Amino acid sequence: MIQDTRLIEIKGVSKSFGDTQVLHEMNLYIRKREFVTLLGPSGCGKTTLLRILGGFEMPTTGEVLFKGKDMTGIPPYKRRINTVFQKYALFNHLNVYDNIAFGLNLKKPEQLGCGSRAEMKAEIARRVTRMLKLVKMEGYEKRSTNALSGGQQQRIAIARALVNEPEVLLLDEPLGALDLKLRKEMQLELKAMQQQLGITFIYVTHDQEEALTMSDTIVVMNGGRIQQIGDPKGIYDEPKNAFVADFIGESNIIDGVMLEDDLVKFSDTEFQCVDEGFATNEPVDVVIRPEDIMIVGEDVGMLTGVVESVIFKGVHYEMMIRSGDYRWKVQSTTMQPAGTRVGMTIVPYNIHIMHKLPKEA
Amino acid sequence: MSVKRGSRIFRAVWMALVLVFLYAPILVMIGLSFNASVSRSQWAGFTLRWYGELFRDPVILGALETTLEVAVIATIASTIIGTLGVIGMHAMKKGMADLLINVSYLPMTTPDIVTGVSLMLMFLFAKVPLGKWTMIMAHIAFDIPYVLFSVMPKLRQMNPNLYEAALDLGCHPMKALYKVIIPEITPGIFTGAMLAFTMSLDDFVISYFTSSDMYPNLSRIVYSSTKLGVKPTMYALSTLMFVSILLLLILINRRTKLEELS
Repeated sequence: MIQDTRLIEIKGVSKSFGDTQVLHEMNLYIRKREFVTLLGPSGCGKTTLLRILGGFEMPTTGEVLFKGKDMTGIPPYKRRINTVFQKYALFNHLNVYDNIAFGLNLKKPEQLGCGSRAEMKAEIARRVTRMLKLVKMEGYEKRSTNALSGGQQQRIAIARALVNEPEVLLLDEPLGALDLKLRKEMQLELKAMQQQLGITFIYVTHDQEEALTMSDTIVVMNGGRIQQIGDPKGIYDEPKNAFVADFIGESNIIDGVMLEDDLVKFSDTEFQCVDEGFATNEPVDVVIRPEDIMIVGEDVGMLTGVVESVIFKGVHYEMMIRSGDYRWKVQSTTMQPAGTRVGMTIVPYNIHIMHKLPKEA
Repeated sequence: MSVKRGSRIFRAVWMALVLVFLYAPILVMIGLSFNASVSRSQWAGFTLRWYGELFRDPVILGALETTLEVAVIATIASTIIGTLGVIGMHAMKKGMADLLINVSYLPMTTPDIVTGVSLMLMFLFAKVPLGKWTMIMAHIAFDIPYVLFSVMPKLRQMNPNLYEAALDLGCHPMKALYKVIIPEITPGIFTGAMLAFTMSLDDFVISYFTSSDMYPNLSRIVYSSTKLGVKPTMYALSTLMFVSILLLLILINRRTKLEELS
């Protein structure tokens, strides 16, 4: 589905507001029909990058290419890009129909392939109806936007953007204000719409689960820098550094020392691993997912510890297990009561070794 | 128990005193406007005679026309200037915007006599003869802050993404202004216009200094007639002015309340 052509290229883009630099030398390309998610904690620069793509901010340095042409100075109303804003930004003085038709009404009849104003009016009506069907809001044409629920307003905001048939749709945390169940439904619907329409989606969120569910490509950002670019599975299974490991899914991150290739020492114990190319005795971050730690008998474990607390999480139990001076988060479908001494084992390929992040603000 | 009752009576009496103090003069004037006798000390029965005379007096009707004309022109002009101005201020950087807005509100707190005298001095300095148009300009000047004051909160409440959404969907900035921003703040503009109109109708001091006897408005007529002994028609005129301004203010108040609810 995704074509190999680079639709958008972001080259060396930096952005400062006054003395604060929010984006540092970003380099990134986005392919046609790709669903790209910019993922990171608040303040990581993801929304600023989206606003640069939409034309609402100018990069301080660097350029943004659209199909190979520089579009850095092009204003939003001349871009074939539309945006779904975080708080919907529907026009309250217009009803649902006029909100969706807003962009089309600004066009000339020729642009919609029509010979006359009357023809154009009919064409707009057709397109709006089609959009309302797509977002499952048929029959709401005459409603006031104030009378809609959050989820319904979001659907109208999406329809209002998509009806213009943009080449790229920008979405700024569009599901942030919805409740969990509705959010999950909308995630699937958005993904289905993207595939059906074949439009490139660039999606901003701080919700890692949302990113994993919907994206073809995830761009993990922190402190105005890209931390890792990859597909959801790659990012989850092979996080490039401790930040990514911690942000995507849950992780145990523990200080370790790389003794030699494929051998790491942490918690005063040596472990086989599958990582090579580190310096001898290099201090590293060791990352282990809570579901990758197996609880075994005390006498056969690689590590031993005491269960401090147990929480039932639905599918699994989450236990905090103290071993030495580290508290391990362990997820398992079987429960060990608090106070039990247990053993833990970890298989080599579930131990992820990462270079220490450079210390900086 | 008795202490409680005592304090309740005290509160009621106090409240009554405050209200009497505030409204007694106006109630006396309204009463006298229906008094059949010219005397202020004697009630000779109810009459609408003074109201009838009022509407047959060409001087008063002329002044009414001037008052309304000034109010309508000043309202339209100050609403346009004020609305566009406040949109501009809102778009500025925060520090600058706050400074400009506070400077623009200041004339509301300046004593009318200072505003009036300084405007008069400016017109004389610029050699503009005092008359209807100088009065209109003065009214525009003192109406503008009321428009700013009413529109600014609407802009602050507005979702900042609305303007960007309009651009995003293909509007040029000017088109976004009148297709999205203006409709969104219309309630505030309306309230501002009504306030400006009320202030214009209400004004005496500034009009007195910036116009001449050739173009009297109603308040000037009332003022000059007091020099020759007050006729009951003046009570009737003042009563009508009081009631119409009161009604306008109630209307504005209800609008603001309704907006707060929605």
